[in-house]
Amino acid sequence: MKKLALPDDILMQIDKPARYIGNEFNSVIKNPADVDIRFAMCFPDVYEVGMSHLGIAILYDMLNKREDTYCERVYSPWPDLHNLMKERDIPLFALESQDPIKDFDFIGMTLQYEMCYTNILQILDLAGVALLTKDRENNDPIVVVGGPCATNPEPIADFVDLVYVGEGETSYPILLELYKKHKASGFDRAAFLREASKIPGIYVPSLYEVTYKESDGTIESFKPIYDDVPATIERQVVKDMDSSSYPTKMLIPFVRAIQDRVILEIQRGCIRGCRFCQAGMIYRPNREKSVEVLKAQAKELLASTGHEEISLSSLSSSDYHALGELMDFLIDDCLSEGVNVSLPSLRIDAFSLDVMSKVQDVRKSSITFAPEAGSQRMRNVINKGLTVEDILGGATLAFKGGWNKVKLYFMLGLPSETDEDMKAIPQLANDIAAAYYETVPKDQRQGRCQITISTSFFVPKPFTPFQWAPMYEAGEYLRRAKVVNDEMKAQLNQKSLKYNWHHSDVTVLEGVFARGDRRLCPAILDAYNSGCFFDAWGEYFDFDKWLAAFEKNNISIDYYAYRQRDLDEILPWDFIDCHVSKNFLKKEWNNAMAGNVTPNCKMGCSGCGSAKIGSGVCHNAR
Amino acid sequence: MRVRIRFEKTGIMRYVGHLDLMRFFQKAVKRSGLPIRYSEGFNPHQIMSFASPLGVGLTSEGEYMDIDIKEEVASAKGIASLNENMVEGLAITSFKYLPDNAEKCMSAVTAASYIVTYKDSKDDACYIDNICDLKEKFFDEAAAINIVKKTKKGERELDLKPLIYRFNIEVKDGVPVYDLLLLPEFDELTLDIHRVDMFTGEAYSFVSLGDIGDEH
Repeated sequence: MKKLALPDDILMQIDKPARYIGNEFNSVIKNPADVDIRFAMCFPDVYEVGMSHLGIAILYDMLNKREDTYCERVYSPWPDLHNLMKERDIPLFALESQDPIKDFDFIGMTLQYEMCYTNILQILDLAGVALLTKDRENNDPIVVVGGPCATNPEPIADFVDLVYVGEGETSYPILLELYKKHKASGFDRAAFLREASKIPGIYVPSLYEVTYKESDGTIESFKPIYDDVPATIERQVVKDMDSSSYPTKMLIPFVRAIQDRVILEIQRGCIRGCRFCQAGMIYRPNREKSVEVLKAQAKELLASTGHEEISLSSLSSSDYHALGELMDFLIDDCLSEGVNVSLPSLRIDAFSLDVMSKVQDVRKSSITFAPEAGSQRMRNVINKGLTVEDILGGATLAFKGGWNKVKLYFMLGLPSETDEDMKAIPQLANDIAAAYYETVPKDQRQGRCQITISTSFFVPKPFTPFQWAPMYEAGEYLRRAKVVNDEMKAQLNQKSLKYNWHHSDVTVLEGVFARGDRRLCPAILDAYNSGCFFDAWGEYFDFDKWLAAFEKNNISIDYYAYRQRDLDEILPWDFIDCHVSKNFLKKEWNNAMAGNVTPNCKMGCSGCGSAKIGSGVCHNAR
Repeated sequence: MRVRIRFEKTGIMRYVGHLDLMRFFQKAVKRSGLPIRYSEGFNPHQIMSFASPLGVGLTSEGEYMDIDIKEEVASAKGIASLNENMVEGLAITSFKYLPDNAEKCMSAVTAASYIVTYKDSKDDACYIDNICDLKEKFFDEAAAINIVKKTKKGERELDLKPLIYRFNIEVKDGVPVYDLLLLPEFDELTLDIHRVDMFTGEAYSFVSLGDIGDEH
């Protein structure tokens, strides 16, 4: 029988013990004695969330294709197990071998959202690895992080040895070869990190020095300590999506994952250029896979997993050039076999409604629009290329097609937002409800239509045109939600409308981390030591502990979140080259303030800078 | 065509719950390429049903599921194609075609047999004689074994005696091994409980669920 790291009595008293036993179908089993490199790939959140993540699946497959590497998985133990492991001194282990990860060569973690930062510390702490890079010894694992938040890794700079900036497919082979070379000739940690800093996309925070202005505390200089360490880190991107490594098998968890389906990535990047969207900027240029490759991958993945659902993954599926052909293939070849197709991120138009009516039960499902803002003025500010005619036209088509539930997603607290813009949100929802009552005759209605409005609070992110924008205090966000709520109650069709909004404390914290610098590290460490982790989970989020940690370390929320940054300020992430130039972002910020719309990449090039990659939409014939 | 599949759930698979196991089997059957029949309607699902769920922490060599398939597959091939899609701790041991009038395993099951041992049995060894004596008094000679059963609606008295069809103690390697035949719902965390088989029919003329149907 496979060995388990946890004893029976622990497994029998914790929630969902199958999270911790490994043994999933398609998981990779190797003999650790046969490899040179043991890599613990961690998703710093609970198993069901982490097992749904495509990036980890790609890297797990890619690293395990190497004969010299054994990549295993680690997820954050839920607080029930966390406490028992602490109590009994059980070190954190990898799922496949159940071996302690302290003895591994690498601990890799993906940073998908800012609120996972304390969970990074939880993983290191439970593993028995020093939390600070400066305290790690020669034989300790190399701690490397990647993912979207690695585009501003400064708030966690003290905790990590290496940051991989960009898409993992490109530089990992070079990094692992270098590690092997160093390991074979008497490993010296400092020497390895110094050499690694020269690999494209690899950033070694400890090799850089930051100074701050006495006047206002902003950055005065940010530079490498040594001459041979690069001053700028270029974000890594895959140039050819078709030949890029993609798994032919995916793991089948026992505990139901959030994504219990085949995830087929159809393209990377987005042509739209919404000004609030970090993914839309950092994953530029838009790079599509060919439809032939996708057909083959879909077939192979369905066969190897036995999943009964396949979902297309991209930032904006409607923009994929051959969506019709791909959908026809999936519907003809897969639906008959009891397989469902799901289509997130679709623009609502006649084509997508036709597809959706084929793949889902119209009566039960709802149509989702993400107008992001209620007024046309505000939608122009954020460059959301969507008019009120698009929305009402799409909704009317959906109502004709039999749908009577609509979900609407908006953001509150966008730059320059006025009360009129907020009120436009329920007004738009009211117009959609009115369209239902105009479109569907009384005798064909099944009760009222149901329009659900959800708002989240806008958080400015690095490498977006809004990276200089101020946020609002928690109370102001709630006031804005109340403006929306009050206006909704004044609508004619208010009985068909429903409004949900998010909590605002966590938004402020996310804002601090998103644009933070390395002066935040001691506060994050203190917050973890005072019991903060699983901050993304409402039931574990404790804002007061965070406020105490900030106070102790002289961290001003005002400085990080609420102030308007100067366009010429050195930002903590300026040393990263995301291909999209700072000049372009400034131009876009000015366009936003003027309410000017910028065309999408297929309509015309706006010169963002990502054309220098040499592939993708920038180089396709328009 | 209805097929009854017998399987083992042992080792670390004891920590996987019944709902998770059902989802595992749906995907395993899909991967195996068996021509399983789907239900009609907008959300078709595989026609598959399980006998009595096994609690988390228990192991078994006598689990059953019934599936409907569209065309005949040789039993040996059915077993092989499913076993290619199992993980450590799950193994298919039989694949039999059910007669048309056979009751579904879920409703047919009326009893199950278990082997029960203490997880930590080193102290037990000294008391084997005592244990056998206690069992005689507690079970063999008792007219009734009254317990208080807690349910959602409250508490009620229950006599276990008529629900236990067999209760023997054997000694293996110097430790007692309890052999029980009783109602299929059974759960106790301080014991190692291993289900041996499930049965249908009336008390004292039980037939194994796995003895119904034929191999093709």
